Amino acid sequence: MTVMRDTVVKSLAKITIQGNEDGLIPEYDVLENLLPAALLNSFSERIMAAAPQEKKSMVADGLVRAAYECGYHTGCGIITSDVFNDVVLPMVTEGEKDILRGAFAAFTAWGWAKSGIVQLKAGEKMVIRANDYYEADSGGDGLRAYMLRGLCQAFFDLTYAAPYPDGMDTYVCQQSKGIEVGDPHGEFIVTKKQAAG
Amino acid sequence: MSLKLDFSLDNETFRRYLNGHAVVMHSHHYLALITKLAEDLSDIGGPQLLKDVVEENMWAVLHDYVQQNDVPSPLQRCNVGREYYSVYGLGKLKVGGTENGGEVCLVRSHIDEGWIKKWGRHSKPINHFTCGYIAAMFAVAFNKPVKSYTVTETESMAVTGTEGTFIVTLS
Repeated sequence: MTVMRDTVVKSLAKITIQGNEDGLIPEYDVLENLLPAALLNSFSERIMAAAPQEKKSMVADGLVRAAYECGYHTGCGIITSDVFNDVVLPMVTEGEKDILRGAFAAFTAWGWAKSGIVQLKAGEKMVIRANDYYEADSGGDGLRAYMLRGLCQAFFDLTYAAPYPDGMDTYVCQQSKGIEVGDPHGEFIVTKKQAAG
Repeated sequence: MSLKLDFSLDNETFRRYLNGHAVVMHSHHYLALITKLAEDLSDIGGPQLLKDVVEENMWAVLHDYVQQNDVPSPLQRCNVGREYYSVYGLGKLKVGGTENGGEVCLVRSHIDEGWIKKWGRHSKPINHFTCGYIAAMFAVAFNKPVKSYTVTETESMAVTGTEGTFIVTLS
């Protein structure tokens, strides 16, 4: 049996989180938060609009980086969590590929993006298609799913790079299509990062 | 807690909603890096932009709630903001004040504690997010529009490792 995506999504989607008596959400070895998607989109749109032309690339990289580090550390907590062990691991028969499929099912279940893997070459390349994601509602110009780019890269690093926490920045993700620019879906391509120089 | 919480899930898109507003989960790494990005862009007003975005968006959420639930008094409306802050996982606030302003003590903080977990203590206050949040909370409590209050972080948990203090004045 390989990972049954719909089963995983439905099981994980039932989980609701909110702050404890201290107003904090300690889960997956990090502090979680639950924020309005409109607020996050609004920040991305306005900080990009405020940046002068020569800084726009740096700001976009900063937005991706925020999501990447969030995804890398939280993602490790997710794939080693009790809930992941209970729901996903019993279905794993293809090792790393199934872990990655399960991780993207969690990705969907927790509302980051209704997405899945459409092409996977182990350790080399992954193509993700997203049919719905909150950044598709953002204002601005061009492809701008910064969060999804960061998370896709993080999950591939966790699966195929050196074991956590030494595998950061092994792969890179580029967005090739976006609902926010009129495409029917978002598309994200993860490949090995080219050595500098 | 007196806040009514209606969590819902769109079974088609799997987007999540809290009291009708789409919400999404991220970690302290995300908000710490968003805060740092705003700090790094101080030359173009990054910290103020972050405060403004939070104030405008949280004003809309809190205003919707008090309208839909007919919350009558400023004290109760302020409590809505205080409780929402904790539900979002942002920490724990103690709030005191009047229509003319007040003081808010930050007892626990996702942003400051997250910053310290990631990079250790900082040399200056960094909780621009909560400044914007408190401005929205006071504005909704006293039936005012956004930009009615100015909030200054005078003591920072990210600096001292203990509690934070925010002073609220009429703009």
